Amino acid sequence: MKKLLSVLLLAGLPFAASAADQLHLYNWNNYIAPETVKRFEDFCKCEVVQTYYSDNEELLAKLAAGAKGYDILVPTSNALQTLISQGALKPIDKSQLPNLKNIAPAYLNTPFDPGNKYSVPYAMSITLIGYNDEKIKELGVPVDSWATIFDPKILQKIRKKVTVLDSANEVFAAALKYLGYSANDVDEGHWKEAADVIKKAKPYWAAFNASSYIKELTVGNIWLVHGYSNDIFQANADAQAAGRKFHILHSLPKEGAVLALDNMVIHKDAPRPDLALKFMNFMLEGKNSAELTNLIGSGNPNMDAMQYIKPEIAKNKAIFPDKAELSRLEQLKDLNVKQRRLRSRLWTEIKAAR
Amino acid sequence: MPSVARRFPWLWVAASAGFLFLYLPLVIVVVYSFNDSRLNAEWVGFTLDWYRKLAEDAEMLSAAGNSLIIGIVTSVVSTILGTMAGLAMYRHPSRLLSVLVLTPIAIPEILMGVSLLIFFVLLNFTLGLISVTLAHIAFCIGFVAIVVRSRLAGMDESLTEAARDCGATPAQAFRHVTLPLIMPGVIAGALMAFTLSIDDFVITFFTAGAGTSTLPLQIYSMIKISVTPEVNAISTLLMLLTLALIVIASRLAPGILESSQETTP
Repeated sequence: MKKLLSVLLLAGLPFAASAADQLHLYNWNNYIAPETVKRFEDFCKCEVVQTYYSDNEELLAKLAAGAKGYDILVPTSNALQTLISQGALKPIDKSQLPNLKNIAPAYLNTPFDPGNKYSVPYAMSITLIGYNDEKIKELGVPVDSWATIFDPKILQKIRKKVTVLDSANEVFAAALKYLGYSANDVDEGHWKEAADVIKKAKPYWAAFNASSYIKELTVGNIWLVHGYSNDIFQANADAQAAGRKFHILHSLPKEGAVLALDNMVIHKDAPRPDLALKFMNFMLEGKNSAELTNLIGSGNPNMDAMQYIKPEIAKNKAIFPDKAELSRLEQLKDLNVKQRRLRSRLWTEIKAAR
Repeated sequence: MPSVARRFPWLWVAASAGFLFLYLPLVIVVVYSFNDSRLNAEWVGFTLDWYRKLAEDAEMLSAAGNSLIIGIVTSVVSTILGTMAGLAMYRHPSRLLSVLVLTPIAIPEILMGVSLLIFFVLLNFTLGLISVTLAHIAFCIGFVAIVVRSRLAGMDESLTEAARDCGATPAQAFRHVTLPLIMPGVIAGALMAFTLSIDDFVITFFTAGAGTSTLPLQIYSMIKISVTPEVNAISTLLMLLTLALIVIASRLAPGILESSQETTP
């Protein structure tokens, strides 16, 4: 017992004592390449300690209750906005970030953090269509529009072989885009139209799936999904590794789609804001940023990174949209209380509909 | 036993179905930890790669180590405190005491997690292994107390009284009579505390600090990018460890896991 307690104390002590040379990174799992971490540790002569969350809401809940000890957080833009309004972040000293010039202007100075007072872009994903090339070609299903997952005429051919994300915000955004509205449209009438579209398409879908669709695609159970670009990249990598004959490809619908940009920020109670700034500047270097893209196929806002990115990823237009496509992408804004209530009521109706 | 099985064949069938239901999922986890594919979907071929990968995965191993340390300390401390609480509740039945001890069981986990986090933050307590362990002890005491109290309820109180009549001090009577009699309950409580601690997610999530991870936290954060057989590998190792502990316990103290030594006359 005594021995155990002393083991426990020994294990616990380093936290209190050696904050000296540790950078605490609160990040998504598998969202930085191991070799990048190692290089940063050599560069700053410090240790990077990572803790993970799997949802922005998890991050917000934990910080709202007062947890501290984290230096860098990587929230998506709408969560970033919430953190800023809560006063949870430390403004960044941009004179310490010469590499910020590498970021494409399209991703800077967004309404979520005007002037980038608190945040710098890290990486991004797009919510789009992923499909099994063999099956889809064989059936002659068009994949260039959201009609693929909403139009019963097309869905007939791939009945029960389609899944959509189990997320009210993502599915509504796709339906609104399909109808020609903005993903951030808050008009009640438009929402009801979108809900009708979703209800009509629902009988043709196999499931609302946000967690295991990578596997379903890889195995070949599901032929077409509404999902995140990183996941679809992963599904294809898995399918090739497993020796499948088909590929899992991306398609960015012509109506536009949702862009999720994750940003590096410094927590207001960060024990080591100096290391945090060093880390930010390090991750803004093209080579370091490119390693993440090569690992998980995430979109990259860093212009200097392009030269280090594997050509097969760099030429994928769904991961690196051109200017015209980029202009049709939208980042989701937070809803206010009233809108959130309406949306969850509509979502419940959709889920309950037969 | 065999005669029972022969006389009631349906009992045999029901029992096998029950065990199958309990153990088949575990067997599948173990089998797929040797599967040569990232997907937990179909059998491709035998490999030890996932164990090799696990051996190099410092994060996963430290999370598993943390889970074990927290689980062991929680089960020892909460068993001692819970046994004391169980005894107190049995000897001095008072509604207030029962409410105080048992409330943590009834409180929704999420509430307990958030309130503990706010409490630690108020005290300016650094979140880490210690805060998680304290939180686990807090919710395990009640479970141990319930098990011990029900064991005491089935015990013949006159045995303790007899020991006292023969000149034993209260401490001696407890050490030599009461404790051995309630031992199966205490052991059951300790195992339960260990299990509850090692797989708790919600309370751990809120009370864990920067850089402290436990196995459930680690695995959960991997779900988004699909769980690899590395998780199967570490689960297999944990199962082996648990099995070893049970075997050792039954060797050291035969009969401790069975409640054959019922005291009811």
